[in-house]
Amino acid sequence: MKPFGYVAAKDCEHAVALLAQYGKGARVLAGGTDLLADLKFSPHPPPEVVVDVSRVKEMKGISLTDAGLRIGAITTHGEIIESSVVQQVMPALADAAGVIGAHQTRNLGTLGGNLMTCVPSMDSGPTLLALDAQVTIAGPAGRRTIPLSELFVGPRRTSLQPGELLVDVLVPKENLNKPTGFQKFGLRKGQALALVNAAASAWMNDGLFSEPRIALGAVAPVVIRAPKAEAYLAGRPVSEEAMAEAGRIAATEAKPITDFRASAEYRRDLVAVLVKRCLVAALGRATPNQKELAS
Amino acid sequence: MMKLSFEVNGTPCDLAEIDTRTTLLDALREHLRLTGTKKGCDHGQCGACTVLVNGTRINSCLSLAVQHHGDRITTIEGLGTPGALHPMQAAFVRHDGYQCGYCTPGQICSAVAVLAEIEAGVPSHVTADLGAAPPLTNLEIRERMSGNICRCGAYSNIVDAMAEVAGVKA
Repeated sequence: MKPFGYVAAKDCEHAVALLAQYGKGARVLAGGTDLLADLKFSPHPPPEVVVDVSRVKEMKGISLTDAGLRIGAITTHGEIIESSVVQQVMPALADAAGVIGAHQTRNLGTLGGNLMTCVPSMDSGPTLLALDAQVTIAGPAGRRTIPLSELFVGPRRTSLQPGELLVDVLVPKENLNKPTGFQKFGLRKGQALALVNAAASAWMNDGLFSEPRIALGAVAPVVIRAPKAEAYLAGRPVSEEAMAEAGRIAATEAKPITDFRASAEYRRDLVAVLVKRCLVAALGRATPNQKELAS
Repeated sequence: MMKLSFEVNGTPCDLAEIDTRTTLLDALREHLRLTGTKKGCDHGQCGACTVLVNGTRINSCLSLAVQHHGDRITTIEGLGTPGALHPMQAAFVRHDGYQCGYCTPGQICSAVAVLAEIEAGVPSHVTADLGAAPPLTNLEIRERMSGNICRCGAYSNIVDAMAEVAGVKA
């Protein structure tokens, strides 16, 4: 590793002040699983300063608030898996956290880091997009909340400006307990990047799909929604054939590339299969009157 | 350069001057001469560098030493000694849970953490019922050890060693 400055931020404001002061010369250190690999092996010059936010209390932890389920940005994947609240109101997020890296990396890697690294194959993205998650951004001018979908700009690029910091992720109250499924397909069961991952959520009261959301990873420059497949499902009776058709439509909305891991055609086929499986998993989590109970 | 104080294997350690670039792994090996923890891939994929930080297993190669001020670190040297082996170390010897031995310290640290995680009721990706205590099956052990690679392929014997310590048949 080449030399870099290091400051442990005391709180969000301290971190933001440092990020604003150093601008593009600063990198945020949370769990370190991506940043350390970068610092060791990247051909680019090292950052001027690494701003360590791993002890910022405000950014840690999972809590139910009046607004919904709040997950601090430096909450680790391991903590998400262990959380009884997540298991109860958002089990698909625990499913996703459980297939990131391996157990040791999940004890280091953070939810915020997974989103901010912004690789198209991130496993946290699809479930959160399918639940209309929002993110809180702290910056020199104060705080703002944006939909998660507006965070993603391109591979390894987010909409955050220099001086800004991701503080937390919020899944709105009305979407807690919404039946959701997450699926990932990699070349191995352990420690593999997703060739494709996907999540689907929908209320299925009265035997009809309502407010369906389908999100796809690793098949576009960022994690995307599949609006045509969602429109197809909305108001339609719940059936296996409808789920399969939604998968086929989503496959036409994906824009996968061919690389050394898989061909575009193969990834497209996977989208169809995984979307259907996500919907089946969501149905498995649906109970009568779920939406009424949630609100 | 920074000052770093933490506890390693029960002993307080003060490093007066440590380069901020130093990983926890390098601090253990190069500064404290605890060479039991191994450097394999050095980017979080092989698990040879697994240590316990405040009881939680992590890849020490992916963590800066200066992030661990005040932490409690346990390495393979802290689990047992040649004269007084940890039950997991003894079981690895009994079951031949290694061949070349390079991945073994990481495997044993991970194995100790796995049994603690299961006892604490932490579910894994293959746990079917999230509400119940995770069963100590062959599948659970293999999933939970998937972050530790053994190129000699001693996996079956590692599972046997872990099952013996846990008191089950895997």
